[in-house]
Amino acid sequence: MIKIADLTFYYSDTTQPALKDVNLRVRDGEFVLLTGPSGGGKSSLCRCLNGLIPHFYGGKISGRVSVAGLDTLKSSTGELAEKVGFVFQDPENQLVSMDVEREVAFGLENLGFTRHLIAKRLEESLDTLGIAGLRHRPLSELSGGEKQKVAIASVLALHPSVLILDEPTSELDPKGAEEVLSIVTQLNHELGLTVLLVEHRLDRVLQYADRLIVIDKGAISLDGGVNDILTNRYRELSDLGIGVPPLIRLFQELKKRDATIDRVPLTVKDGRALLKKTLKDRSPPADSAVAQQKTDGKALIEVKNLWYAYPNGLTALKNVNLELRAGEFVAVMGRNASGKTTLVKHFNRLLVPTKGRIMVDGTDTREATIAQLARKVGFVFQNPNDHLFADTVYDEITFTLKALGFSNDEIERRTGQVLEEFHLTGLKEHYPRSLSGGEKQRVALASVLVAGPRILILDEPTRGMEYHLKSELMRFLKDYCAQGNTVVLVSHDVEIVAEHAERVILLSEGRVVVDGEKHDVLSQALLFSPQINRLLQPFARYGVSSKILTVSEALDVLS
Amino acid sequence: MRSFRYQDRNTPVHRLNPFPKLGWIISILILALVLDSPLFLLLLFLATLPLVRASRVGAEWRAFMKLALYLSGAIILINALVSSHGTHVLVELPGHLPLLGAPVITLEAILYGVAMSLRLLAIISAFALLTLTVNPDDMMLAMIKMKLPYKSVLVTSLSTRFMPTLLDDVDRITDVQRARGLEMDKGKLRQRIKSRASIVTALLTNSLDRAVQVAEAMESRAFGTGRKRTFYRDISFSPSDTAALAVSLLPGALGIFMGTHGYGQYQYYPSLSWINLTPGEWWLLGLMVLLLVALLPLAHLKQRVDLD
Repeated sequence: MIKIADLTFYYSDTTQPALKDVNLRVRDGEFVLLTGPSGGGKSSLCRCLNGLIPHFYGGKISGRVSVAGLDTLKSSTGELAEKVGFVFQDPENQLVSMDVEREVAFGLENLGFTRHLIAKRLEESLDTLGIAGLRHRPLSELSGGEKQKVAIASVLALHPSVLILDEPTSELDPKGAEEVLSIVTQLNHELGLTVLLVEHRLDRVLQYADRLIVIDKGAISLDGGVNDILTNRYRELSDLGIGVPPLIRLFQELKKRDATIDRVPLTVKDGRALLKKTLKDRSPPADSAVAQQKTDGKALIEVKNLWYAYPNGLTALKNVNLELRAGEFVAVMGRNASGKTTLVKHFNRLLVPTKGRIMVDGTDTREATIAQLARKVGFVFQNPNDHLFADTVYDEITFTLKALGFSNDEIERRTGQVLEEFHLTGLKEHYPRSLSGGEKQRVALASVLVAGPRILILDEPTRGMEYHLKSELMRFLKDYCAQGNTVVLVSHDVEIVAEHAERVILLSEGRVVVDGEKHDVLSQALLFSPQINRLLQPFARYGVSSKILTVSEALDVLS
Repeated sequence: MRSFRYQDRNTPVHRLNPFPKLGWIISILILALVLDSPLFLLLLFLATLPLVRASRVGAEWRAFMKLALYLSGAIILINALVSSHGTHVLVELPGHLPLLGAPVITLEAILYGVAMSLRLLAIISAFALLTLTVNPDDMMLAMIKMKLPYKSVLVTSLSTRFMPTLLDDVDRITDVQRARGLEMDKGKLRQRIKSRASIVTALLTNSLDRAVQVAEAMESRAFGTGRKRTFYRDISFSPSDTAALAVSLLPGALGIFMGTHGYGQYQYYPSLSWINLTPGEWWLLGLMVLLLVALLPLAHLKQRVDLD
């Protein structure tokens, strides 16, 4: 059992509390989903539960926290490790050994267990996670999802009664994320482990969680049963800026318009059953085709017979032909290692074709330098931290212009303009790395777009990002597109692509498998389709187009 | 870069207990320090080759040796320029160097440089073999068994663990900055150093963040509780391992004998002479090579014995 009473915590050197008057009780065996805006206090709360706060972080703390009978203020992190298992966000930064077995044994060794007991616990944890087959593999060869499973196994070996996972999937691809989340649910269901999960991908776990808690500005602002909150307190949830799966958004809207719908489904299966009831006694509307947009701008990027082989001999791209036009919003999708990143790295010459050629705005990339192309093609990488190194936001942005050799007047003018545009003027003397997640992303974007490129490439920019930051980024990208620029978005996020892109290119094993308007590419697939499309697939006989992808499209047809 | 790390090729040499390998390295270090004769040093280097071959790490070993060869070249060159001893003058360079006077290159100085680099090659070859064939975790265990403090050993092993991660970071951050228009190979040296500073800064900041996260993760898995730490894996010592360890230390003992009795010595200056070995020295030379190579059949033998 977790008991928190009047918990207030300040990190050292801060005057704002990270947590303020938090009171919480979690029963044994509960599955609690913890969400809220970044910087709101989710991670701090988790760290209070295993004693990292205050024993590791220091700071000022008041109130009481007890977990499984241990007072976290009075117990050492070592004692707490046997009660609370903690899994962190980045699998890379929580594994300390070279192979799986040694990693799982690490905590047990620290606690001075006998070799015999370690062997037993090791066997048991590997089996529970289903990773016995990986036991002798070096960690560096494992995928992100596998590494995260090893991390879970390594805390499970200590037999905790509470498992805390702080955004365990935000560094993983969808497949890895799904595997990790299904293991977590299984641990809760089969072993009765109390689970506290901080997660943004609600669609995969909502149905299994017992309770939803929203933490904002250091306080619990919403706390209740999942069904209750999603059905009756949806307003509060959306006012807090928490993103919910499209299925729930759709039914909340339908509920407003149609009194016969009195609850909100958590799964596609349940949603279909609900919808069938309401659609049955309705005459089929005229076939509602979805309006399709067409862009016929000038070709900005032309890819001709592109082949690319890495120096180690792996052929990553096989005869790719594409034309990307001005004003287009293109999503590049595909499995891991299907060649997505390799493809887009050709657009600004980070990679040079092994065979074939790329024309960017009329220039053959082989005849230009990366620096010359930087004025035409901006590239934003997944982690904004990789972009940031300067002492101030202002320096960070002018660095690009200096590298490109702009005159001082021009640097001044452009920087001022871009700071204004990204609402960064007030932050221009701040240290970029200490900004919030959303602000960092804006600085990274600003530092790229200040060069005035007409093409913007983003490699997985929304991975691990919370809902309102995603929407903010997408709003910006749409504006940018509307000015006649091209956006190339590499993404695994089907919902984001369905909502915002126009064209989808699907790669597999280095080849373009499908390339077309998003409604044609994303509809009528099994797992690859967005939630709304999967929901509506069986209703074609009621005249509901099978090409509907988003909530607003569905609403147009259903009401 | 990646090739400087341990790779499990599963050969008898890989499977050999790390202690005999450490003993072997110590022997080679002793011999390299004690011996002077170019012939002895050459054979010392050559005696490391059978093990390299048997462990099938040739490509990675060559990467190490390439580095060693650059160093050797530098040693030979500097020694030849700096040392003006020796009677066989090959070249008299014009001009006047401060402190050294008129530079002359002598045959003696060149040969002395060659002998020094043979010494270096033998040592690097042996260390390369150790790095490439001992699992870093086993190395850690071996060091702990030798009573080195656990925390220092752990830090060493963590740096090995995070090497690939760091290299990925370098690749990513370099791409970010290049995409922003940074041209690292343009301009004068000063400019180039400045361009790289942006990458190094980002890398260091990233690594610091990482370090805090790793520390947090270790703390939440009961690291540093003050309880006596146990070790799940152990380096088991079978009789064949003990035998191998003893054999691996024999060349070192031989080295000490030779050093104290004046064998394996050679006078480079003032004038070179032919290497005239006494029958006793021929025997010692042969014995040295034999003892150094003896680890290989023992590694094979261990496999046979342990399977029974």
